[in-house]
Amino acid sequence: MNENTNTNDDRTAAETAEEAELRTDGGEASETSRSSSELRTDGGEPSDERGPSSELRTDGGAITPADDDSPSFRERKERTDGLSRLTYEYFERSRREDQVLRDDSDYVERDVLGFPAWPHEMIRNLSITSFFVGVILFVSATMPPPLEAPANPTSTPAVILPDWYLYWSFGILKTQALNLELAVLGGQTIATDRTFAVLLHGPIIVMLFLVPFLNKGSARRPVEQPFWSAVGVFGVILSFTLSLLAIKNLMAARIPIWTSHMQLWLSFVLPFIGATIAYAVLKSMREGYMYDLNRRYYRLRPPR
Amino acid sequence: MADEFVKGFGILSGAGLIWMILAGWYRTPSFGGKQLTAEVSPASNIYEQMAYLIMDAMFWFMILGPLTFWVLIPLGRQLYAGYQARGQ
Repeated sequence: MNENTNTNDDRTAAETAEEAELRTDGGEASETSRSSSELRTDGGEPSDERGPSSELRTDGGAITPADDDSPSFRERKERTDGLSRLTYEYFERSRREDQVLRDDSDYVERDVLGFPAWPHEMIRNLSITSFFVGVILFVSATMPPPLEAPANPTSTPAVILPDWYLYWSFGILKTQALNLELAVLGGQTIATDRTFAVLLHGPIIVMLFLVPFLNKGSARRPVEQPFWSAVGVFGVILSFTLSLLAIKNLMAARIPIWTSHMQLWLSFVLPFIGATIAYAVLKSMREGYMYDLNRRYYRLRPPR
Repeated sequence: MADEFVKGFGILSGAGLIWMILAGWYRTPSFGGKQLTAEVSPASNIYEQMAYLIMDAMFWFMILGPLTFWVLIPLGRQLYAGYQARGQ
């Protein structure tokens, strides 16, 4: 630009003004008459006159491509970190589009975390809902369940079992061996076997009621809280072993060297073993996992 | 890596669905007995022959597809990467 001013020294002001209005030869003289506030279309250096608010980029900066510059399918495939990158770009683009909407609207800005339900969440939910409704219709149309003969109320079936989600309760009813004959009671049990089994539901139900009040922290992943994850693993395994206890006679009849007594003790030992293993594994993998997680998180939301 | 996973998973679920439907038709004589694994009756027409063929093909596709995408292809890539690293 400095060279151009030297070439224009000998021209008159009228000539310069005329050339600024009507230039057909693409000459260099008009460069001098352009003010710095004019719109630049050549992608040059940003001018210094923009306010300090323009430094705060909310569009993801140069990381996210412009609308008309989206990467092609081939370009996406050539990336080695496909899914994480794609997720990142989706969120950045969503954030930018939301920012455009916010700038255009007169809605009062508030601090909102997350994305609007429409369309981001609803489109996803609709597609998931359609998929599962389709699966249900397809399976029920191709494999209709048979209509069995009506139940005979005068005869008892050989195998009596509740619905599967109540197996754990039925399993607790089969814990007579835990009802020990106590020496302090003179060789008597605390209660009859059936009363004892019903009372044993108490601790389990108390544990279930306690669940909402346990560990109300901000942790979202098992690896962040190894102890409480181990407690959860304990509960999951206990629910399975108690459910299997409901069919202990069937299992003992079908599996060799399997006895009902062995299964009863395993039902209460396996949860402790599983919880110990879960605690050890999560505790040992915690450091590396949290490092990776934090690195990913700060790539998505850089600290200020 | 995620692409290979979803390819194998798509084959597993898609082929498994078709196999389950056909086995529910031809390998489940009654709800109370053997389900999906009972012996098929001899095919009486061309449609049953086709269904038996597709049923067996989907069963093995359900097993070999994920095995290919989850085990064999990553293994091949690891071996190739190791081979190239040794050459340099």
